[in-house]
Amino acid sequence: MGEKKQDMTQDSGYSIHRRYRGRLEQVGIYFGKLLRMFLYQNDWKVLPMSALVAGLVSIVIKNSFFVSMEGTLRGAFALACVGIWNGCFNSIQVICRERDIIKREHRSGMHISSYVAAHMLYQFLICLLQAALTIYVCRAMKVKFPSEGVITGNMLVDMGITVFLITYSSDMMALWISAVMRSTTTAMTLMPFILIFQLVFSGGIFSLPEWCSGISNFTISSYGLKCIASQADYNNLPMVTGWNTLVKLWGEKVTLKTTYGEALDFLAEGKSPLVDEFRAKKIGGIVTIGEAVDELRESPDMEEMRKKEFTAEMTVGEVVRMIGEDRVREMLLNKTAEASRIEDFDGGSDKILHYWQIFLLISFVFAALSVISLEFIDHDRR
Amino acid sequence: MDYVNMLLQLLLGTNSPMNAVLRLLYLIGLWKILKKSGIPGWWALVPFARDYMLARCADREAEGRVTSVTNALTSLSGAISYAFSQGQWPEWMQLFAVLTTIVMGLTHILYYIRVYNGLIEIYGVRKIWIVPWIAFDFVPSLYWGFSDKYQPKRQVEELREDALSLFTGKDVAVAGQGLTVNMKERSVWDFFRKKYLLRDIHMSIRPGSMVLLLGGSGAGKTTFLNAVNGYEKAKAKVTLDGRDIYAEYKKMQYRVGFVPQQELMRGKDTVYSTLMDAALLRLPLEIPMQDLKKRVEDVMEVFGLKPVRNSLVEKLSGGQKKRLSISMEFISNPSLFILDEPDSGLDGVMARELMQQLRSIADQGKIIIVITHTPDRVIDLFDDVIVLAKDSHRTGRLAFYGTVEEARKFFGKQRMEEIVMSVNRKEEGGEGLADDFIMKYGEVRNG
Repeated sequence: MGEKKQDMTQDSGYSIHRRYRGRLEQVGIYFGKLLRMFLYQNDWKVLPMSALVAGLVSIVIKNSFFVSMEGTLRGAFALACVGIWNGCFNSIQVICRERDIIKREHRSGMHISSYVAAHMLYQFLICLLQAALTIYVCRAMKVKFPSEGVITGNMLVDMGITVFLITYSSDMMALWISAVMRSTTTAMTLMPFILIFQLVFSGGIFSLPEWCSGISNFTISSYGLKCIASQADYNNLPMVTGWNTLVKLWGEKVTLKTTYGEALDFLAEGKSPLVDEFRAKKIGGIVTIGEAVDELRESPDMEEMRKKEFTAEMTVGEVVRMIGEDRVREMLLNKTAEASRIEDFDGGSDKILHYWQIFLLISFVFAALSVISLEFIDHDRR
Repeated sequence: MDYVNMLLQLLLGTNSPMNAVLRLLYLIGLWKILKKSGIPGWWALVPFARDYMLARCADREAEGRVTSVTNALTSLSGAISYAFSQGQWPEWMQLFAVLTTIVMGLTHILYYIRVYNGLIEIYGVRKIWIVPWIAFDFVPSLYWGFSDKYQPKRQVEELREDALSLFTGKDVAVAGQGLTVNMKERSVWDFFRKKYLLRDIHMSIRPGSMVLLLGGSGAGKTTFLNAVNGYEKAKAKVTLDGRDIYAEYKKMQYRVGFVPQQELMRGKDTVYSTLMDAALLRLPLEIPMQDLKKRVEDVMEVFGLKPVRNSLVEKLSGGQKKRLSISMEFISNPSLFILDEPDSGLDGVMARELMQQLRSIADQGKIIIVITHTPDRVIDLFDDVIVLAKDSHRTGRLAFYGTVEEARKFFGKQRMEEIVMSVNRKEEGGEGLADDFIMKYGEVRNG
């Protein structure tokens, strides 16, 4: 101890005019610290967790994502939720769990902006890995992504960037919450409310009353949903709900009320295989029903009868087959899709790039808020 | 008539005649209760502030702040709800008003129960009194207010006629070497009033001193240290080796080491990395990396941390954690070294070893200020003693600063723990002589 004591005194009293490590250098110190935490503090567990979540979601969305409007909407919402979930859990505790340590280090010359910037950098890498894992797992679970992407030319890359940006902006939001909350318990108590808020106010799954529809403009989920739906070309996909409902009603009986004239016209035009088959049937082996119908249609004696009404009981399936199954299906898919188009979901690079910019803006706003909130850390009550 | 209603609503929180009478009775009782605790009774007539004042009588100031604010917000949301009932308002505003009323109302009730509990403790009555306080507050308010049988155990303000003579206001000369403290006050605005945490502290500590900081709980020891190192600035001039710590804080913070009571380090980091990061943060940029690493190695050796250099911090023993925490500050070789209970959680042998290490650091010409709750086992290692005490205004004051021997003579006590007991308040189990010693010390200083 004696010899050491000598050494210690020799370099004592550093001049106060010396320069100390500034903001940029400190980012490096804290980034290194966070990387060590990744190894020792089991922060790496967020990676397998994100793969697991992506796997579970893939099971649900794989058959209908990119296939129909409804499936794409559900898939887009689910993927956006995966990103939000991952992002929030990445950093909801990272600052509040070491709040007292930050106070101590701030007192020793740590710059809050450097500390937050180190987190931004570190979380950037984590979110990037999570987004890559999410897309990889979706592919592995046979979710059929279209091959062409609007921005990079590759849909997997485009979708990966979107999932990354959703995750990262949620991550920064959670970082801010972590910077504001004083303990991990409070942060984790708030967490479900944040997720429910994002889920309910995304505006995609639940229709919102007019007075609160504006709130969805402040949710990451809403932009996530819009961005993914745009990339999936939602507005040019068919809507299958109408047709599926009709198929479910196939055996249900319906009563048709029509006039003889309308019935004759319908049978004369023969626009479905079923009508053609009916027309070809022979009556008494001499004439076909079709010939008889045509004859009756032209007959002046039928003028009076044409206006008379009659009722017939048929199943939904018989009616559809009578009109033409393909014709009805095509009409239902297209007409319902046309009615369900959403302007925000229009494909196109401008729109997608616009959403990406919003995610970046959200990320930087929350990072800035984190810095501002932490600057007041010295005012914490003891 | 509307104005009368509004006035009643504002003053009494209700506009129904029956409730107004009951509130008035409550306020009359409250006036007397406030007076009994040494607070002017007219505060009972000030809406919202009276909640805070009642909480002060109950020694529940923090709760008082919440009850005041929630009361104000509940009244506001009540007014908004009333406005809704009169016309068409957007749905979101209705939702907001309903939620605010529920949250504020619940918080208000819960915090008021805490205040009543405090009041029951201060008056030393049975817990069952909480029921009438919640259900018919005007009954206990009048009964406690007017009955001589019910007296608070302590006053909020205990003014003494000789209070002014407690203040010396006499600055010590700024020393070229060492630490000089000339503190007029360290105060905070606490809701409706200015609260003095520390007042009138003047001292000069020479380099190479190891100083013991004594004082009962709440005497302001940590506040004093935070004010000295510039972390929480006071109305003061604090100089270290002739340089103003407050004016040059950004530069001087590297020359002051503060070791907090808890081991505030990341448990999952290694000892070496923790020290290395501390060195990078605290040492000047010009120091070459090779020298910086050598400094880390040297400090690890001084504090006996070399055998655990690659261990995770969480795996260290209590003593090792303390030493690491100290070495994180020591790495920058500060001139002033402040330690808040560095021996807490350590056994006698380990605590003494640690203090001996601090003594050897002081012998290198540094100033070491230590707070400890077990001073007598290591008192031989200290040069000087600072005694802080809470005066009758509950403000932290300097009751003594001098050598250990002088302290023994001044207080007439041999053991440091006895000195603390003599200045502690009676309800804390002490002798309640704080004001006497503060005055005595003032007289000594004034010559």
